[in-house]
Amino acid sequence: MVYIGRILKFALQDIWRNFGLSFMTVLILVLMLLSVNALWSVKVITKEAVNLIKDQVNVSVYFSANAGEKNVTEINKYISAFPEVVNIKLQNSDEVLASFKQRHSQSKDILDALAELDKNPFGPTMIIKTREPGDYKKIIKALSVPEYENLIEAKSFDEHESAIEKIQNITSRTENIVAGLVLLFACISFLIVFNTIRSAIHTQKIEIGIKRLVGASNWFIRGPYLVESFIFSVLSLVISIALLYIALSFVDPYLSVIFPSSFSLTNYYNSNILYVFGVQFFSVLLLTVLSSGLAMRRQLRV
Amino acid sequence: MITIEGVTKIYSTNSVALRDISLHIKAGEFVSIIGQSGSGKTTFTKLLIAEENPTKGRIKIGDWDITNIKTDEIPFLRRQIGMIFQDYKLLPQKTVYENVSFALEVAGEKNRRITQVVPQLLEIVGLSDRRNRYPMQLSGGEQQRVAIARSLAHRPKIIVADEPTGNLDTINAEEIIQILKKINEFGTTILLLTHNREVVNALRRRVITLHNGHLTLDQESGKYIL
Repeated sequence: MVYIGRILKFALQDIWRNFGLSFMTVLILVLMLLSVNALWSVKVITKEAVNLIKDQVNVSVYFSANAGEKNVTEINKYISAFPEVVNIKLQNSDEVLASFKQRHSQSKDILDALAELDKNPFGPTMIIKTREPGDYKKIIKALSVPEYENLIEAKSFDEHESAIEKIQNITSRTENIVAGLVLLFACISFLIVFNTIRSAIHTQKIEIGIKRLVGASNWFIRGPYLVESFIFSVLSLVISIALLYIALSFVDPYLSVIFPSSFSLTNYYNSNILYVFGVQFFSVLLLTVLSSGLAMRRQLRV
Repeated sequence: MITIEGVTKIYSTNSVALRDISLHIKAGEFVSIIGQSGSGKTTFTKLLIAEENPTKGRIKIGDWDITNIKTDEIPFLRRQIGMIFQDYKLLPQKTVYENVSFALEVAGEKNRRITQVVPQLLEIVGLSDRRNRYPMQLSGGEQQRVAIARSLAHRPKIIVADEPTGNLDTINAEEIIQILKKINEFGTTILLLTHNREVVNALRRRVITLHNGHLTLDQESGKYIL
């Protein structure tokens, strides 16, 4: 207990008496965390935007007017069994007709032409949504069998195919770019933080030598630096969280204009607070402890 | 007290610091070790505090053979040998009081004992009124006295003083030697490594001369002869 108390006391004394170096170390850690959070936010926004676009893409299957309710139900059951399918919306002939009339309510000619027909010319329509745009090909293939050839009049996938492919390309490229940036930035930050801590410890090289001479054990010398690493990690995380939430209060109003849903970065961070900041805290702690450990290794050689 | 048997220290084939040194220093002796730069004095000190291991030979402190001392035993050895250096080696971020108390704190001494012992040590070296000053606010002589107080913290049986007067004027140097003599009178073995002819001649104690790593002269009540 006496040792722990003294290690804590020396750590706090070191922080206070080397205030300039302590301040610089925390500042660099805060800048690193802010940059990581900025990239993290970009990733979240990109993902949300892509999901929004994906959400608007679906495949419509237009049945012929004589398809019959039994056949449509059977196809519905068959398609629902695919694990890739998220939901299926089925419109019967009457609903399709009503929707058509509503869509062309301003076009008198079209409505007059429709009235000339003695029966409903539309068959049922099936709107299928899958998990990933790439899954549509599988669904279309499953429907392109001879048994269904006479029942299905048209499939709208062909019209979306190029758009879906583009979205997929953009999504995967964006994710790769963001992941690359995060990795690159993490490496740069590691080098900056490592060198800052190493310089801080190097300036205390003589002191470490003196501590050894008066009989301090390696753990007694190392202890205060580990405690300092912990304090720097906590401080930098708290400061970066505070700055992040201030920044979010400015960004969120703009996002609410772009995204019609209830998406906001503040909500995202609130609901993932433990994960996001937990990962950041342990990464920073690992980085500072590792840096100080490596920097001290040479000094602690007897 | 200190037994050195056939000790040789070789850093590289071109750099042999000590060659086959054998000597015995009794408890309570005041021994001056003299020699030109590069004669092996500093290596001798490093071997005593296990900062270096001898290439050949054996070193014993009392009954403790420290020739191949384990790493985790080194802090305990260093708490038993008080060290004083030419450049004082004080912690610049700590006050006079903290520099002395630090030596006790690293050994896990209780706070009550520290608050009792440190003022006594500062009293011995005449620095009671400077306890809250930082090393930079002290003269060279005062800094060396802080170093002496710190070296006494563990009540060591041996004090190794490596050129303690090297950076001091004659008056301060004389004061430091007087303090060392006083400590010696209480039974502590003193090893004084020095270039200072006047100091050695005035002491009239045992003088060991090193030259090119060899022990060339060991006088019971000697003078500074190179």
